[in-house]
Amino acid sequence: MSHTIALTVNGERYRLDVAAHHTLLQVLREQLVLTGTKNGCEAGECGACAVLITWPGAERAEPVNSCMVLAPEADGAEIVTIEGLIHDDQLDPLQQAFLATGATQCGFCTPGIVVNARALLDRNPDPTETEIREALVGNLCRCTGYIRIIEAVKMAARVGREVVG
Amino acid sequence: MSREQGAGIRNQESVDGGRPSAAARRPSLIGASPQRIEGREKVTGAATYVDDMQFGPNLLHGALKRSPVAHALIKRIDVSRAKALPGVRVIITGEDFPGYTGLYLSDRRIFALDRVRFVGEPVAAVAADTPEIAAHALELIDVAYEPQPCVFDPEFGASPEAPLLHPELGDYACQPFILPQAGTNISNWFKVRKGDMAQGWAEADLVYEHKYRVPHIQHVPMETHVCVAQQDVNARITLWSSSQSPFAQRNLIAKALHISHSKLRVITPHVGGGFGSKAGVSIEGAAVGLAMHAKGRPVKLRMTREEEFYTTFVRQGLVAHIKMGMTRDGRITAVQNRFYWDGGAYTEYGVNITRAAGYSGTGPYFVPNIHVDSYCVYTNHPIGGAMRGFGMPEIHWGIEQHIDQMAHQLGLDPMQVRLTNCLKDGQETLTGMVMHPTGLSQCIQKAADAIGWGKPSAPSGAHKRRGKGLAAMWKAPAMPPNPGSSATLRMNEDGTATVSIGGVDIGQGALTAMAQLAAEGLGVKIADVRVNTVDTDFSPYEWQTVASRLTWSMGNAVLQAAENARRQILQTVAEAWHEHIDDLDIIDGQVVSYTTEESRPLRDIVIYGMQRPDGTWIGGPVVGQGHFMPEYVTPLDPETGQGPRAVVHFTTGCQAVEVEVDDETGEVQVLKIVSAYDVGRAINPDMVRTQMEGGAVQGMSTALLEGIIFDSTGVPRNPNFTDYRIATAVDAPLETENIIVEVPQDDGPFGARGVGEHPMVPTAPAIANAVYHAVGVRVDCMPITSEKVWAALAGEPAV
Amino acid sequence: MQPFDYVVPKSHAEASALLVEGAGIVRPLMGGTDLLIRMRGGFVRPERVIDLKGLPGMCDIRPGEQGWLVVGAACTMNQVALHPLVQQHYDLLAQACNAVASYQLRNRATVGGNICNASPAADTAPALYCLDALLEICGPGGARRAPIAEFFLGPGKTALRPGEFLTAIHLPPAPTDACGVFSKLGRTKIGDISMVSAAVLVDYGLPIADFGFTETRTSHTRQSTIRHVRITLGAVGPTPLRATEAEAALALDPSPEGVKRAADLAAAAARPIDDIRASAAYRRAMVAVLVRRGIEAALAPSSSVLRPASAGGAA
Ligand SMILES: Cc1cc2nc3c(=O)[nH]c(=O)nc-3n(C[C@H](O)[C@H](O)[C@H](O)COP(=O)(O)OP(=O)(O)OC[C@H]3O[C@@H](n4cnc5c(N)ncnc54)[C@H](O)[C@@H]3O)c2cc1C
Ligand code: FES
Ligand code: FES
Repeated sequence: MSHTIALTVNGERYRLDVAAHHTLLQVLREQLVLTGTKNGCEAGECGACAVLITWPGAERAEPVNSCMVLAPEADGAEIVTIEGLIHDDQLDPLQQAFLATGATQCGFCTPGIVVNARALLDRNPDPTETEIREALVGNLCRCTGYIRIIEAVKMAARVGREVVG
Repeated sequence: MSREQGAGIRNQESVDGGRPSAAARRPSLIGASPQRIEGREKVTGAATYVDDMQFGPNLLHGALKRSPVAHALIKRIDVSRAKALPGVRVIITGEDFPGYTGLYLSDRRIFALDRVRFVGEPVAAVAADTPEIAAHALELIDVAYEPQPCVFDPEFGASPEAPLLHPELGDYACQPFILPQAGTNISNWFKVRKGDMAQGWAEADLVYEHKYRVPHIQHVPMETHVCVAQQDVNARITLWSSSQSPFAQRNLIAKALHISHSKLRVITPHVGGGFGSKAGVSIEGAAVGLAMHAKGRPVKLRMTREEEFYTTFVRQGLVAHIKMGMTRDGRITAVQNRFYWDGGAYTEYGVNITRAAGYSGTGPYFVPNIHVDSYCVYTNHPIGGAMRGFGMPEIHWGIEQHIDQMAHQLGLDPMQVRLTNCLKDGQETLTGMVMHPTGLSQCIQKAADAIGWGKPSAPSGAHKRRGKGLAAMWKAPAMPPNPGSSATLRMNEDGTATVSIGGVDIGQGALTAMAQLAAEGLGVKIADVRVNTVDTDFSPYEWQTVASRLTWSMGNAVLQAAENARRQILQTVAEAWHEHIDDLDIIDGQVVSYTTEESRPLRDIVIYGMQRPDGTWIGGPVVGQGHFMPEYVTPLDPETGQGPRAVVHFTTGCQAVEVEVDDETGEVQVLKIVSAYDVGRAINPDMVRTQMEGGAVQGMSTALLEGIIFDSTGVPRNPNFTDYRIATAVDAPLETENIIVEVPQDDGPFGARGVGEHPMVPTAPAIANAVYHAVGVRVDCMPITSEKVWAALAGEPAV
Repeated sequence: MQPFDYVVPKSHAEASALLVEGAGIVRPLMGGTDLLIRMRGGFVRPERVIDLKGLPGMCDIRPGEQGWLVVGAACTMNQVALHPLVQQHYDLLAQACNAVASYQLRNRATVGGNICNASPAADTAPALYCLDALLEICGPGGARRAPIAEFFLGPGKTALRPGEFLTAIHLPPAPTDACGVFSKLGRTKIGDISMVSAAVLVDYGLPIADFGFTETRTSHTRQSTIRHVRITLGAVGPTPLRATEAEAALALDPSPEGVKRAADLAAAAARPIDDIRASAAYRRAMVAVLVRRGIEAALAPSSSVLRPASAGGAA
């Protein structure tokens, strides 16, 4: 019941033996010790486990709750976790915006939200407030009340547009 | 509190021996809003929470066997089949740990021994090589139960007809201010008797009585309870725990397991939210118990989301009977309240919540004639723990709707009625304490102004109706009279400082506020202060991270430690330079002399000391220390609840909301929430605002969506996010406004008092009042679901 | 989750054989958003999980014969909702897909899984009923097709026979001037399991779409005759329910009174129950509201708007 899979995580390639009944979340946290991706429910509801996945043959990375993916299903996938959003010690503009706006409190929901918001800005660099709220509806946060998070995404979008424009 | 230095209001203009004080000469860090000091770790996923810690392949996985029934005698527990399962390493049951434990009232054991009292109560624990084996082992444990009659309603539970759930109640050890009623299900009965009720009713032009209900609420920290315990060769145990109370956990577990405090070490890294649920002890005793038999292997116990919903702690349910008298011009003449708390199977914090509700039982109003009974009642529901607001959201749900309702009946403006009655400086509270200076009136006025009180706004479409509502609140830190804080500040070779504290940053920003206080007290940049997370072997004592007390209490200790270190440093420099200490200051990590204008970086002083002109050395490693404990809280009379000083202080505030209600579907959209709180002094105003905002949305979520639903046998039916919905980014209000009012607290650091819990206290009744204003429907039983609003509008029977 | 094995069949025949051979101990898997939850809760304990997503065609959306559209059963909600042909001709289905859970869940959840799970609250079902979808089913004896209304038998019960699995959803040619509205009411504003849902499709009887041709709706008044109406209700019966009397009433009389009458007839057709999400009475009353608002939005003169301004959650 063990399967050998090959996958890329944050640019690094791995060959791993995984158990069929484990989820991608478990593989990331337990086998690769990438613990930035959090487990808040294991039921697809909270978004704390969100990662970006480019499926084999797909053009674009999409956010997925990693607790909803069985480990062997990840064979061939390219994955970016929260740890992969930092480049050369430079925070992603979203991460900077989260700090600047005070959008993190306990921080447990933060990795999943940053990852999911990254995906939103990648497919829609100029989202309306409604689009931001709807894109984040599957990310529960009990601390912040979401207002700062929405502000942070808006701020990062502005920064992103300035960089592009 | 130690009064020699440290605590107290620091007035920037204060004059010290004719010279301007140090604080007056440098820009203050107090009232600045630096970013969260642990923010970078959190936004990058690098912050370590307990479940992120690595314990290697030796780690055992714990799991708890739980009662499927709400009340039964345990006839037999057979673990033999589970023990035989390969990979199972430890199984423990109640027989292994028969002692009682409990924070205020010792009424429970780590595992049920002879009787289970709620669905989910642990009866045994397993540690195994994998989580799958542990789960399988649980299925092989065979427990025989003999069902007993249950109590699911606190009012019934308090009556003589109810079956007794704790026949041993009279024998339980308890704190002197908790008053259990042996031979009943009442684990605490707090009374207030003040004034003359007959006269109060006689003076009233309107007397109105109504009953309000609040369901069980779950805290829903995004990180569920998790801990790892390990015993070493010297039988010392380390517990890594996602906890709000590392020291209280050490204390309670050491006592329950009869081990020395020095043999138990609790380490708390980052915590993914608590809201009260991680105060006290829930699963940690079982983890330590397993570790004691695990031959040195670490044992992890992590709650699934389902377990989190009902097996750790819940916010207690409440049935509140409120009776109030009011004059035609809106003056409250009398209040008679009965609070029946659904305390659950065991009390943990429930008894003290009952007490807090009692001594706050009028709400933040001056009332001359008062009769309050607050009962904590045993039921066969989950254990009532502390939750943000500690009883205040529950009692204000009724009180604040009641006032609104009476104002409407008398044709008065509910906002004016609150202004008329709200406690002003020097008035007596219901327990006879004199109210300290408070900004409550300001908060009410400012919240009302910000929401556009009295000004209608146009609905967004057909079948939409808008309304505005507000609610005021008060809350005191609810705790024993003498909870202590302590702190150390150690200087490092490079002139930076390391602050150790025993309180936990559960997201509220304690680390940052402490860094600000330490930096301010010492005279360094915030970036040069590191604040440690808690390790009871190295951190100084802190009672618990509860009661919104850290900024105030731990803040005093940290400030004192910083000032203590500063004084040590300046004394050394004064002696070395032959100067008067008052001519010296520390600014941005440099000691400066105001007379010679000489300066010296701290790194050249704080470890190796300084050389005197004669070549000898003075000073040495600098370690500052500070502590704080309130010394003025008095006992209250058990029959009348009266006493000079019930509590340390009250934080007050008000929220105003605007809602839009769909009059066909009953859906409530919260458009705006204004929060205004008197925080004494905002150490970090932006973090204060984020507390207000987060609390308001949590309050809104409980108001509109939340509640644990039990079936008729006490089984929770919605222990998951699918059916226990909490507010999402789409449900959050379209707009928030957060107003800081600052009427200083005489013994707070720079005048600060806490505000962590308060922002969710008045939200639910404010929304209820706004819904009433919009569509004339009063929902007295939380939550205000679309269905309830629809039913009331459609004249359907209440749901 | 208790251990199980994971198998990826290479052909339809192999998949079917695996399902037959493992009867009782195997489960088909697509997005897993229903199956994983049930396995984690211990409600189902398969020894083997058969991942069907990789079978040929399962993840494709392609034009079929004679103007039909074929949606592979394993297409995710996002894939369907964002597909140009779906957006152009079956916007009702796109609305329904978008009303499921959250964006990141919709990257896993499939339309086929939604149907096979056979929850009365399945959000894509009312839309597929209105669109007269045909389901393509593969089994030991080869492929067969069944109308969606014959597929749902009750909560969690489908017309699948042993060894059979769903491979595709066939959508008949869409009239260019059909206007559909899906709306749902949850406890939270969006993303909740539906307490009540309703799909309304009003068709004015204009020529059939040609997928090579991009023009969508010509401007003309909506007062022209209604060719047919479809109204389907979700979460108010053991299966999704067509409200046929309401449909007939509306086709006869699309005046405001007729709309109201149709909405009331739809409410009368509902067979709701009480559960922890809502009472039967509330559900029934909300059917009338959602259906009336849905029809109003579909009939609105300017309505290429396919989303109601506010009819519960889906907006
Ligand atoms: C957080 C969350 C929120 C949700 N919100 C919604 C919502 O708002 N609306 C809604 O409608 N649903 C919702 N769902 C339910 C679920 O996401 C949908 O039903 C989804 O469409 C199921 O698709 P899937 O591909 O994930 O199915 P799977 O879980 O892969 O399969 C579903 C069932 O069908 C069987 N099956 C799978 N493929 C086949 C096949 N080809 N042939 C025969 N049987 C098969 C499986 O064995 C299983 O029993 C939610 C689920 C979660 C976890
Ligand atoms: S852990 Fe995956 S969604 Fe909650
Ligand atoms: S910051 Fe704590 S859950 Fe979002």
